[in-house]
Amino acid sequence: MADVNAFITEETIEGADDGPLAGTTVAVKDNISTAGVETTCGSRMLEGYVPPYDATVVTRLADAGATIVGKANMDEFGMGTTTETSHFGPTRNPVDPDRVPGGSSGGSAAAVAAGEADVALGTDTGGSVRCPAAFCGVVGIKPTYGLVSRYGLIAYANSLEQVGPIAGTVEEAAALLDVIAGPDPHDATTREAGADANYAAAADGDVEGMTVGVVPELFEGAHEGVVETVEAALSDLEAQGAETVEVSLPSVEHAVQAYYVIATSEASSNLARFDGVRYGHSAGHDGNWNETFAETRSEGFGEEVKRRILLGTYALSAGYHEKYYAKAQDARAWVRSDFDDAFADVDVIASPTMPVLPFELGEGIDDPMTMYLADANTTPVNLANLPAISVPAGTAEGLPVGLQLIGPKFGEETIVRAASAVEE
Amino acid sequence: MSTRTATEERAVVIGLEVHVQLETDTKIFCGCSTEPAPDEEPNTRTCPVCLGLPGALPVLNEGAVEAAVKIGKALEADIPERTTFHRKNYYYPDLPKNFQITQYDAPICADGELEVAVEDSRRTIGITRAHLEEDPGSLQHAGGSIDTADHTLVDYNRAGTPLVEIVTEPDFRSPAETRAFLAKLEEVLEYLGVFDATRDGSLRVDANVSLVPGEAVADDGSVPEDALAEANRTEVKNISSHKGAEKALAYEVTRQRNALRRGRAVDQETRHWDESRGITVSMRSKEAEKDYRYFREADLPPLEVSDWRESIPIPELPDARRERFRAEYGLDAESADKLTSRKAVADFYEDVADRFDPDLAATWVADNLLGELNYRDMAITDVADRLEEFARLIELVDAGELTTKNAEEVVLRGMLDDGDDPDTIVEREGLGTADTGEVEAAVADAIDDNPEAVADYHDGDEGAINFLVGQVMQRTGGSADPGEVNALLRERLDE
Repeated sequence: MADVNAFITEETIEGADDGPLAGTTVAVKDNISTAGVETTCGSRMLEGYVPPYDATVVTRLADAGATIVGKANMDEFGMGTTTETSHFGPTRNPVDPDRVPGGSSGGSAAAVAAGEADVALGTDTGGSVRCPAAFCGVVGIKPTYGLVSRYGLIAYANSLEQVGPIAGTVEEAAALLDVIAGPDPHDATTREAGADANYAAAADGDVEGMTVGVVPELFEGAHEGVVETVEAALSDLEAQGAETVEVSLPSVEHAVQAYYVIATSEASSNLARFDGVRYGHSAGHDGNWNETFAETRSEGFGEEVKRRILLGTYALSAGYHEKYYAKAQDARAWVRSDFDDAFADVDVIASPTMPVLPFELGEGIDDPMTMYLADANTTPVNLANLPAISVPAGTAEGLPVGLQLIGPKFGEETIVRAASAVEE
Repeated sequence: MSTRTATEERAVVIGLEVHVQLETDTKIFCGCSTEPAPDEEPNTRTCPVCLGLPGALPVLNEGAVEAAVKIGKALEADIPERTTFHRKNYYYPDLPKNFQITQYDAPICADGELEVAVEDSRRTIGITRAHLEEDPGSLQHAGGSIDTADHTLVDYNRAGTPLVEIVTEPDFRSPAETRAFLAKLEEVLEYLGVFDATRDGSLRVDANVSLVPGEAVADDGSVPEDALAEANRTEVKNISSHKGAEKALAYEVTRQRNALRRGRAVDQETRHWDESRGITVSMRSKEAEKDYRYFREADLPPLEVSDWRESIPIPELPDARRERFRAEYGLDAESADKLTSRKAVADFYEDVADRFDPDLAATWVADNLLGELNYRDMAITDVADRLEEFARLIELVDAGELTTKNAEEVVLRGMLDDGDDPDTIVEREGLGTADTGEVEAAVADAIDDNPEAVADYHDGDEGAINFLVGQVMQRTGGSADPGEVNALLRERLDE
């Protein structure tokens, strides 16, 4: 297979001699800090930046015996749905090299789909693990907020994101989650809940008696082939003993708007530290520091990153804070309570992961609104801090289609179980 | 009304923002020490968290929160059910993340007060709030000041040191009141054990100063908000001590008064206190309000502190201790003041007052010891490990084994100047109190050798007795008690 440009840096980091992941190769998204190995976030801003410390998930991979084979390509700072905003060039979809692998963890999903790594770590702020998993025909899990440590993950939108596994099978993805999950004294938002779960063991395909909620709002406007493929997968679950019921989530139509206000607001603050003083790209240190900061940032950041920083700065500004940021927080609370209500009646909630088939390279990069709307089904999950998995449901027009299964907080075992039944 | 009378009647309104470095072992969001190592290199007492490296996350040091709760209790402030952190976003090279983690709408303390003595009156200063935040790094402007430096270096060793920012109501009516308040605040913070006044930069003060028409001041001394809003105020930064506050604000008040007197307006602006020149200088005009784009810091979950007020004890505070010392040891106001202004002094006094005569202990600690220390530019903390030696000195005097004069002039000074312990000095100098036989012999000699003074005494010249006492003291090498000598002389002369 031709090179799909899955990695920004190919470098081997050996783990412990034995452990549950001994002999397993892992691609690590390039926004996860690796001591001594360049970590760029797909940005010119961090070209040449070598972290002096390991992210907690990297330490856990090493302790589990995994071998890291490289730092995977990504949309710059995780801001994108196609892995085309990377400073290091786009990654191609191994299923169809003329198409994008999805994003922002496109390098991670492509590495697994192309067989360049057994499994991979991605990060998911608004769908960035699930989208490329769906587009590349592999499995991706976005864990409950607080299940996996973010220490060492270079923040895009810190109230929304989690590190998540990508693998060829549900069981492999779950086994990787077993390794990285659990509380971390370096991340005050991690929780004890789920620490003693066994996710890999939950991949038993037993959906007998499980109630699957189907949300009509999340099928609206989706590509016909996507809808048909997902519905066929749901019928298959019913045939295995699951019950499907319709549940309504009226708030989700506001999710994309709320997500982009919150994510860009947080990004405007999280990315403020890139000023060229301590690390990364610098436009020099002469003259007025205010001007030098501006020059550094205009040289170091790409278009999409600048667009989101500006949007977020605007949304947080005096006079607009109430109108945008505060309203988005209200919408977030509404989405959360909608899901709470739904989970009173169902065990998991199902939808297409992406309402579209993989874009062709270059197709949508100049049309941010189309790109943002493609996140309609994944962003509600991040707003509600919930776990979700994308599992291959089949193909449409020869391209992979992902089924998304959303669980209640710390309900990873349930979504793994349901997803493993989809695979069979 | 002429302009002249209007300006002369202007009243001073000052509010303070006091930044206090907390005495915790580690920084507020990481495990780095807060204590500068001797001769430490810049940027060595740092880690990914306090350097703001990509991916690093803050973890709250609960010791800093405990210290803030103690301050809240001492200021009689409300402690909320839960407290949260926000980001204050602004770009500045000393700020590793280009935002500061601070508190916004749920500060750890709100609505407190502190009573201070200003000359002869008591004033209660309202405390609007006190909140926790991280200290930025420090900038070194190489080869000059902020205006003239060739380049600027950044040192992040200080970054992440826990700060409490205490914001007062605009309750001060004179620069002297701010000084009294800050001195009292330092006293309280020191009692709480959360503050080290000797650390450079441990107390930093910003002051908002405005002059309002005298008639705007209400009978109770308060100033209505609309009068405050109308008057342009300046924010004076870079004040680092209570003495500095009084000087800086006296300068600033005079500057504003003069401007108004000359018919000019006071610009709403930030001014920098230049301690070496003793003036305030304009830094930048203050835009309407800076936009810090505050929002919740999602990396730090809300902290439930509803039962912290109950579970965290604070020691007896200076005011209460002062009153207790007066009642318990019968001290006058001045001695009680001196003995309670620093916790280490009060602790030492209490120790010796319980063992020996409290009056004698008060004189020795408040006057002799503090006086001699002060003369040498020293504080009680400089002799913290020798307090038992000073207690021994007081014991010797209390037991009558050493005269007050020798104890003070020879032993105490020797202890401070040469570092010897009191018994060593007494023995070396032969200062044991003269025994009765020795004193009686000296009295008899003095009478025999000075017939003229004796005659003067009998003629009613009271001055003569002092001369004779001096003679006896000389003969005993100062080891006799002058009072006893006086009594003994009269006894013999009147026989």
